[in-house]
Amino acid sequence: MDKSSSQRLPPLKRNWWLKHRFFKLYMLREATVLPLVFFTLCLIAGMVALLQGAESWQGWIAFMGSPIVLVLNLLALAASLFHAATFFVLFPRVMPLRIAGHSLPDQAIVAGQWAGVVAVALLFFWLFGRA
Amino acid sequence: MNTEQINAKNVSTKHISVKRYLPDSSAEPYWQQYELPVDDSTSLLDALNHIKEQLDSTLSYRWSCRMAICGSCGVMVNGIPKLGCKTFLRDYEGEIRIEPLSHFPVQRDLVVDMEIFLEHLAAVKPYLIDDNPVKAFDPQTPEPYQQSPEQLARYKQFANCINCGLCYSACPQFGLNPEFLGPAALTLAHRYNLDSRDHGKKQRMAELNRHEGVWSCTFVGFCSKVCPKHVDPAAAVNQGKVEAAKHTLIALFKG
Ligand code: SF4
Ligand code: FES
Repeated sequence: MDKSSSQRLPPLKRNWWLKHRFFKLYMLREATVLPLVFFTLCLIAGMVALLQGAESWQGWIAFMGSPIVLVLNLLALAASLFHAATFFVLFPRVMPLRIAGHSLPDQAIVAGQWAGVVAVALLFFWLFGRA
Repeated sequence: MNTEQINAKNVSTKHISVKRYLPDSSAEPYWQQYELPVDDSTSLLDALNHIKEQLDSTLSYRWSCRMAICGSCGVMVNGIPKLGCKTFLRDYEGEIRIEPLSHFPVQRDLVVDMEIFLEHLAAVKPYLIDDNPVKAFDPQTPEPYQQSPEQLARYKQFANCINCGLCYSACPQFGLNPEFLGPAALTLAHRYNLDSRDHGKKQRMAELNRHEGVWSCTFVGFCSKVCPKHVDPAAAVNQGKVEAAKHTLIALFKG
């Protein structure tokens, strides 16, 4: 049979992901980027404020302390942890690690990644906790 | 076995709704209900056979091995792609809705046109390619290809695919763009790329590295959930992305 003999269906509708719990979870994972964009914008604003001088820096600090911004940034933290959790589980499937011909168990790779997160967090608190 | 043990098999009556499509008599698909006796061991395929033999001989569906090996009995059960012979009605309470596999054109009742799937499989050259064999093949003294258990282990999981197409019905990217090579074809390509006896990676990479190749995958991951053979096509496709990226980089440096 030649190529044209097989029919093609019309593409899915935009709301395809509402059909199934699994797809909604996937969309949630993708949506974690939204609060993270907000957090990144906050950081950029902070750097601009720093360049502009003491007054706008104080303004930025006040802005960061406002309840709405705090809530949004907590949301961003939760979103990034959720994303990390799902990503870490996927990682060994995308990059299976082999040592001397034997594949490393998935759990070991996932645990290793979380150990990395804890290490970075500890380093962060050690650096900035003293200020 | 005494009668009590036989009775303990939980015989009951269940309703299943089947999406019918009979292009000769009606242009539109419609739902039809069947009522049938089931026990703990009744598979969905048994149920379809019962309907065909006892209730309604006009029902069309595919099957062959009834042991999860031929890959022909795939249908949607309550919206999820499943093998009919590996699905048991005892696991379903309430409504059971049977539809043809999603994202494929329906020919009749539960029978879909798999042509596009076969085209995609063929596109990735799913066979051993060895253009420069160490030794020329001599039919008088044929020499087998040797492979160690470690070399086999690298691709074995990806070689378990039975071409049932369930992963294509689970993949929204294939639903959105049927030209996407899709989970099984990309997995098959990866399986041959990982095979120590094969040297066809370069030829396959051209196919894989297209937008319709690995890059259309957004790692929804449902394909791996529905795969009846635990092939993990999502893993294979995304390992293919790593390979494709490496391939591009290497090509860049070679100029
Ligand atoms: S990868 Fe799994 S679901 Fe997809 S065709 Fe092969 S056996 Fe079926
Ligand atoms: S009948 Fe062969 S896989 Fe189900």
